Amino acid sequence: MDAVIDIKGIPECNVCEIRDGKLVIGSGVTLNKVAELNYFPLLSRAVKRIADHTIQEKITMGGNLTGTIIYRESALPLMVSNSKVIAVDRNGERKIPIEYIYDREKGLNPCEIIVQIVVEERFLNLPHVHVKRTKNEKIDYPLITISGLKDGERINFGFSGVCEYPFRSYKMEDILNDRSIPIDRRISKAIPNIPGRILEDLNGSVEYRIFMLHTMLKEILDKFEEEGELDG
Amino acid sequence: MPQIGVDTVRKEAWDKVTGAAKYNSDRLERDMLNARILTSPYAHALIKSIDTSRALKSDGVLAVITGDYFPVLTGSIIEDRPPIARNRVRCFGEPVALVVAHSEQEAMKATKLIEVDYEPLPVINSIGESISSQAPLIHENIGKYFCPDGTIQPKAGSNLLDHVRIRKGDMNRGWEESDIVIESKAFIPQSDHLAMETRNAVAEILPDGRVIISTSSQAPFAVKEEISKVFGIPEGNIIIKVPLVGGAFGGKASVDLEFLAYLASRAVGGRKVRIANSREEDISSSPSKISTESTIKIGATKDGIIKALEATYFVDCGAYAGTGPRMAKAMASDGTGPYNIENVHIDSYSVYTNHIYVTSYRGFGHTASTFAMERAVDKLASALNMDPLDIRMVNAISEGDTAGTQTKITLSNTGDLRACILKLKESINWDEGNRIVESDGKIRAKGVSCFWKTSNSPVNAATGVSLTLNSDGSINLNFGATEIGPGMKTTIAQILAEKMKMDINDIHVFMEVDTQLSPKHWKTVASMTTFMVGNAVIKAGEDLIRQLKSLASIILACTPNDLEVMGQRVYLKDDPDRGVEFKKLVQGYEYPGGSAIWGPIIGRGTYIMKRLVPLDLKTGRGKTGVSWTVGAQAVEIEYDPEKYTYRLLKAATAIDVGKVINPKTARGLIMGGMSMGLGLGTREEFLYSDDGIAQNTSLRTYKLIHFGENPEYIVNFIETPQIDGPFGARGLAEHGIIGIPGALANAISLAVGKEFDRIPISPELIWGTKTGGKYDTF
Repeated sequence: MDAVIDIKGIPECNVCEIRDGKLVIGSGVTLNKVAELNYFPLLSRAVKRIADHTIQEKITMGGNLTGTIIYRESALPLMVSNSKVIAVDRNGERKIPIEYIYDREKGLNPCEIIVQIVVEERFLNLPHVHVKRTKNEKIDYPLITISGLKDGERINFGFSGVCEYPFRSYKMEDILNDRSIPIDRRISKAIPNIPGRILEDLNGSVEYRIFMLHTMLKEILDKFEEEGELDG
Repeated sequence: MPQIGVDTVRKEAWDKVTGAAKYNSDRLERDMLNARILTSPYAHALIKSIDTSRALKSDGVLAVITGDYFPVLTGSIIEDRPPIARNRVRCFGEPVALVVAHSEQEAMKATKLIEVDYEPLPVINSIGESISSQAPLIHENIGKYFCPDGTIQPKAGSNLLDHVRIRKGDMNRGWEESDIVIESKAFIPQSDHLAMETRNAVAEILPDGRVIISTSSQAPFAVKEEISKVFGIPEGNIIIKVPLVGGAFGGKASVDLEFLAYLASRAVGGRKVRIANSREEDISSSPSKISTESTIKIGATKDGIIKALEATYFVDCGAYAGTGPRMAKAMASDGTGPYNIENVHIDSYSVYTNHIYVTSYRGFGHTASTFAMERAVDKLASALNMDPLDIRMVNAISEGDTAGTQTKITLSNTGDLRACILKLKESINWDEGNRIVESDGKIRAKGVSCFWKTSNSPVNAATGVSLTLNSDGSINLNFGATEIGPGMKTTIAQILAEKMKMDINDIHVFMEVDTQLSPKHWKTVASMTTFMVGNAVIKAGEDLIRQLKSLASIILACTPNDLEVMGQRVYLKDDPDRGVEFKKLVQGYEYPGGSAIWGPIIGRGTYIMKRLVPLDLKTGRGKTGVSWTVGAQAVEIEYDPEKYTYRLLKAATAIDVGKVINPKTARGLIMGGMSMGLGLGTREEFLYSDDGIAQNTSLRTYKLIHFGENPEYIVNFIETPQIDGPFGARGLAEHGIIGIPGALANAISLAVGKEFDRIPISPELIWGTKTGGKYDTF
């Protein structure tokens, strides 16, 4: 017998506040709520580009991070800010890096739920960009979405739409941050290090996605490096 | 006060904006049962067996039926389609079984318990595969099907449904007189109608044998006639009811769910059964728009005068004929576009594939033939270094010319295309240039297109109007066209008000259609409602006036000729103060002394298409409609050569409508058409996998143009009266869509510097065309 359990009523899943130097967001908090409270402008930007306003009123953070739609763009700001999630099952609670939930081995167990997301306060107002490109529409699943966050001299990157899951690659980041070589060369070197198979679907071919990824990374790096500080 | 040519709020506006208006599927009743279909997961397969035993045992289920329950073939052109597949499925999404249960949920659950054993067959996934000599046959009985349309000639042992020919003039002479010959190919994929209201129907069979079907149809009288024919029920026992329809665009002109609703009701002893498509079913199980491949060859003099046109169209009708062959005919008969071409050779083929089957769609094939022709005309202009609007001006069809069907063109039956071109030219600021490189490197480009369209109706398409009156002197207006959105009930009320010289607020419209109460109207299609019903309502008004004058002449002791009617009053022409009000006449006149004469007055009027001639099978000579409507359109885009993306800036139409009855709704109709054309041009298409499975059958992946993505719309009307139209009006409802894909592709081709001969044109297609589609590592 299949059963559906609504977990949105659990009080811990509904908090959204700064607590002890950390932003804590319950998994039942809607995307609109996250955007309206706007504790984390990069995250606000990302969730405002997921679906349309009516649907943002219904989609929760937990739903976007773990639902069946593969793009999970709200994960990108969380990845580039080294955020953690608090997951709970009958054996208790664990605090894991956000990337783990997309890892087959370290990921969520059956019957385990995300209760909260925890972001350290120092990441909340760093310079950032969020760029989303679709096949054709203003509102659609991404062809590619990139979040970039500048932590000191280093830019952290999170990607959606490139592979079947959202990811952050330290190896790609090392290459993209290597200021000793020109931006175009860095991008060309980073692309072969994409950590999985590149998506080919109704939204776009592999080749087009690579073209788009290159163009977007160039835009982002140009902005960060030529204009210095910016907030996207 | 004039009642036409003025913005008039539609009669159902308040009900619609408050949500009080009811559509067919809004009417849920306690005693209704619900039916759901199980659909084919294969594009082509034999059905080896169907086991319904588990579904029958499922909670709430009353009946499960398959194609064996009532084996029958349906189709308005070719009888080739079983309402529920039998022995074989021919496209993805085709119904294979139907469950009737108390609730929709129970019916849905039971469909999952039906076990079907399929044996997949080779799939025909394109027009090319369909016409290949080795192609497997989709319909083994193709040569033996009954064809209600006697002009159709399906070819036995092939997948070819029909071949329409247009032969005019002398092609050899045409090529000889040409200094230049241009060849061009074009492709438009299948796509969906996407009416906001998905198709739905409710059927019941009463103990006395009456069959009552309420449905979201554009063609209630066709539903009545086909249900009668297919199931052998006397027409008088069939009652079809249609309330407001939530958009149709041609998709609700064919009989589809009504067959299923009837069968479902029959399977449960005649109880009332509702069947309503989910969006996904509406896309993949109900019929869609045709796909077409075209080849155009035009020859012209160095001055740009087109001397010869050779065109070949292949129309992908999908798994069943639907209305496909009739659109192929329409494409051929209007294939020249609104241009005067002396030598014409057109072949239009309709073919079966294992795609979703098709029915009429706004524009009725003209969007496809126009796209092909207008791309070719732009290429001709470019080769001759001529201005795209000038070349269209030079060739514009006008009085004294003949159409491809050899029908004589008059100003009245076609209108003034040159006036439309001039109006368009001004409205889009053509003189600033059609390709402008902006300071930021972006390119602003304008593409243009001309169009024409006639009704392509049967030669006997007819309509009627009946008028009854209330004792306050107001009129009840009743006719059989369904209100599918364009406000035509109001348009007809305006025409009646104008004829009666009275206020439209005193005309009450019977908003629904009930085939037992409403006079027959052929179908609410072909942009013909205002023209046909408008003519009928004028006659009905004349009939009322004649009766009112006759009665009043007795009372006023004069002859009817001495009388005039205005403001719901009949009065003496030479002494307007002496008269009698409608309210004293319309239910019979009562003398002051007590005796009464006459009785309730009833008005009637009819219209039937006149002097249409079926196309000659060898030459295509004939007459497919009473008149054409012509126009010119433009799309302006801004192209970003770095990102290979574009933005829609403007879309414009100048159209000769004869006479505008309701300016605001007319403008809205043209804008809606342009919006759909831009949808086709930019994003709408069915994508099929290699095994013929439609990939984008939900609105998550099938994209429409959204509010906010639209450009600025510009609409201008030219009014060259059609002398046999109601107050000079001709059809306009479909026409906004027709030239837009061509104009868009012309604009993009000009901006990018590459030819785009297929739609939709996505940024990826531009990138692929421009760069070869390979990632360059810089």
